[in-house]
Amino acid sequence: MFQILIQGLLLSGLYALIAVGFTLIFSVGRVLNLAYGVSLMVGGYTFFYTAQVLEMPKLVGVLLAIVVGAVFGLLKYRLLVKPLKGDHVAIEISTLILAVVIQAGIILVFGDATKILHSIIDGVWQFGTVSITANNVAAALGSWVLILGLYAFIKKTHIGRAMQAVSMDQKGAAISGVEPDKVNAATWVISGALGAAAGVFFASYTQLSPSMWVAPLIIAVAIVIVGGIGSIIGTLIVAHIIGFMEIITTTLFAAELRGVFTMILIIAVLVIRPRGLFGREEL
Amino acid sequence: MTFRTNLFAGAVALATSAIMATTSFADTVKVGFIGSLSSDTGLSTLRGAEIAIEELNAAGGVLGGKTIELVSADTGEDPTEGIKAYEYLAESEEVDFIISGSIDDVSLGWLPRMVEYQIPTLDTWTSYIGIIDNLVTDYDNYKPYFMNIASDEALATLYIDFGKDVLVDQMGWKSVVILQEDTAFGGAIHGLVAEALAPVAGIEVVDTIVYDVATVDFAPIFSNAQASGADFIYLISSVNSQVVSSQYVKLQVPMGMTGVNVAALGQEYWEDTGGAGGGISTLSPVPSVGFALDPVSQAFVDTYQAKYTSRPKFPHFNGFNAYHGLKQAFAAAEEAGGFNNTSWVDAMLGQDLVLKKDGEMWLRYAFWKPGEIEERTQRTYPHNARFDITAPYDDGAPSMVVIQWNEDGSAGVVYPDKFKTQDFGIPSWVKK
Repeated sequence: MFQILIQGLLLSGLYALIAVGFTLIFSVGRVLNLAYGVSLMVGGYTFFYTAQVLEMPKLVGVLLAIVVGAVFGLLKYRLLVKPLKGDHVAIEISTLILAVVIQAGIILVFGDATKILHSIIDGVWQFGTVSITANNVAAALGSWVLILGLYAFIKKTHIGRAMQAVSMDQKGAAISGVEPDKVNAATWVISGALGAAAGVFFASYTQLSPSMWVAPLIIAVAIVIVGGIGSIIGTLIVAHIIGFMEIITTTLFAAELRGVFTMILIIAVLVIRPRGLFGREEL
Repeated sequence: MTFRTNLFAGAVALATSAIMATTSFADTVKVGFIGSLSSDTGLSTLRGAEIAIEELNAAGGVLGGKTIELVSADTGEDPTEGIKAYEYLAESEEVDFIISGSIDDVSLGWLPRMVEYQIPTLDTWTSYIGIIDNLVTDYDNYKPYFMNIASDEALATLYIDFGKDVLVDQMGWKSVVILQEDTAFGGAIHGLVAEALAPVAGIEVVDTIVYDVATVDFAPIFSNAQASGADFIYLISSVNSQVVSSQYVKLQVPMGMTGVNVAALGQEYWEDTGGAGGGISTLSPVPSVGFALDPVSQAFVDTYQAKYTSRPKFPHFNGFNAYHGLKQAFAAAEEAGGFNNTSWVDAMLGQDLVLKKDGEMWLRYAFWKPGEIEERTQRTYPHNARFDITAPYDDGAPSMVVIQWNEDGSAGVVYPDKFKTQDFGIPSWVKK
């Protein structure tokens, strides 16, 4: 039970961070950003190159990864999404192609071998048969800090409230003086930054590879579908449901069935409650 | 110039080009490489072949002074792409000989094409015994195929000895929990461990934990392994092995772990695990990481490292196989008057390169002939590398060695005794 509780909490925090950046774009920009996983990959490789290859301080590596992710998000918006504005199919296809192209670029520069990141923080604790690394605790705590910071940003700041307004009604927001283009750009920057941070934590938790953008994208889509579009709270809750169920499945049933529950949950929600468990009202 | 003059000049130019092309074609022998162009495995074979070709061309060429030309076909380690790659080499490039750095699944994909085209082919990495079984049951169709790595059955047989001599007799381990990936490879090795190694060595298999190859979080899996109460973990991993290895180290799982870990076969393992690879041991074909080299193999490595600065910075075992194997293939072609599926096959079977270290046989590149029975397994292994699975290993190279990575990033051979460079041990965080 202790094993499930601890490992479930650690994994769920990371999943929540992965999904929240995706939720933002989907809610505010109405865009299915299939290149979202690439933000994680870009963040992970930036940290690898700066902190591991160039041997810069790890904190600097994390911050640089976040900056690169933010810039990447902005470039995606300006060069791809904005020109294709309104054509959701074209945007989805374009973002998917972008992901594949960037993956090829990563292979060209870093090779296709899977890499393991150094721990952000060293140390491990043993509790009976359960091993917990300081790195995983740091990743989970870091995820929560970012998520809570985002929540506060959305609720308390002018731009955050503008994002809420655009997510509810873009035209209405524009009439009220909100500049949708600036809000969308800010959303993509924040999403890119969050994705990059999630990528650093995800890669330090698991692995770094050119194909690492796929699994987080699937997780993010699953959480958003089940949680409901536009709900950060829903994203957090469902991330924990999925995280804990993966740990429970692995611990009590069979490790190879880890992802099966998630797939079943998606199907069930789409059939029974298509708007998601927590619906779509506002961010 | 008049129209007729232009036409005549054009015809002459065309005829000259055709003659030159034909002449060029006759002056070269084409070798095709099939494998991944972006993996360490594929690149090891490709580079071993490149060095061999350079040396042969520098020595005056082959088959009457012809130049060897190497063409590559990328499989991306995908079976479907592998089939297309083989067809490309056969139909578009019309190669005379194919050297493969493909992994097992990819080789199995293009093997029917080899049967169809009958192109002499040397596989340097794939070790699936099922391919050798094809040669046993359908020799005429499969005979252009050679495999110069010991088949997995041979690898497994010697590994059983390691189980008894080291895991039981030296370490005193009596029970094991098997941690295997959910692949055909995992299933096959599981069968070896559960049905052969463990019973022969007297080890009880208390549990088997199967995980999906996409697993990225092994914490709950290792917790279950600890909860099983077994003395050690036997890991079977060929896909993303560095992930499970590094998490074993980062989590400091308080159990010894050994097994089959494909990522640990290369020098890049330490870099790829971010330094979290100590304590991991695995069986490996030879020459392995940490393997003491004979002078000829060392010379090959020196040439390799002078020529290539990108990874893999040290050739994997299949790079050595490609280097020696390609030279043997051309020696056989010289004897047979060219590549074909008759006289060349017989000449290739006769190739026998013995490499000595300190006066004794250290490695041997030769092939089992059809009908020759291996004394321990009492079966035949036609066209398979001539391995030796019985001490004192004086009839061939050992089918495998067991290597272990140390916590300082070094690695050595821990079994068999003849090739041992260090003792088998447990990580510092595991209590004895």
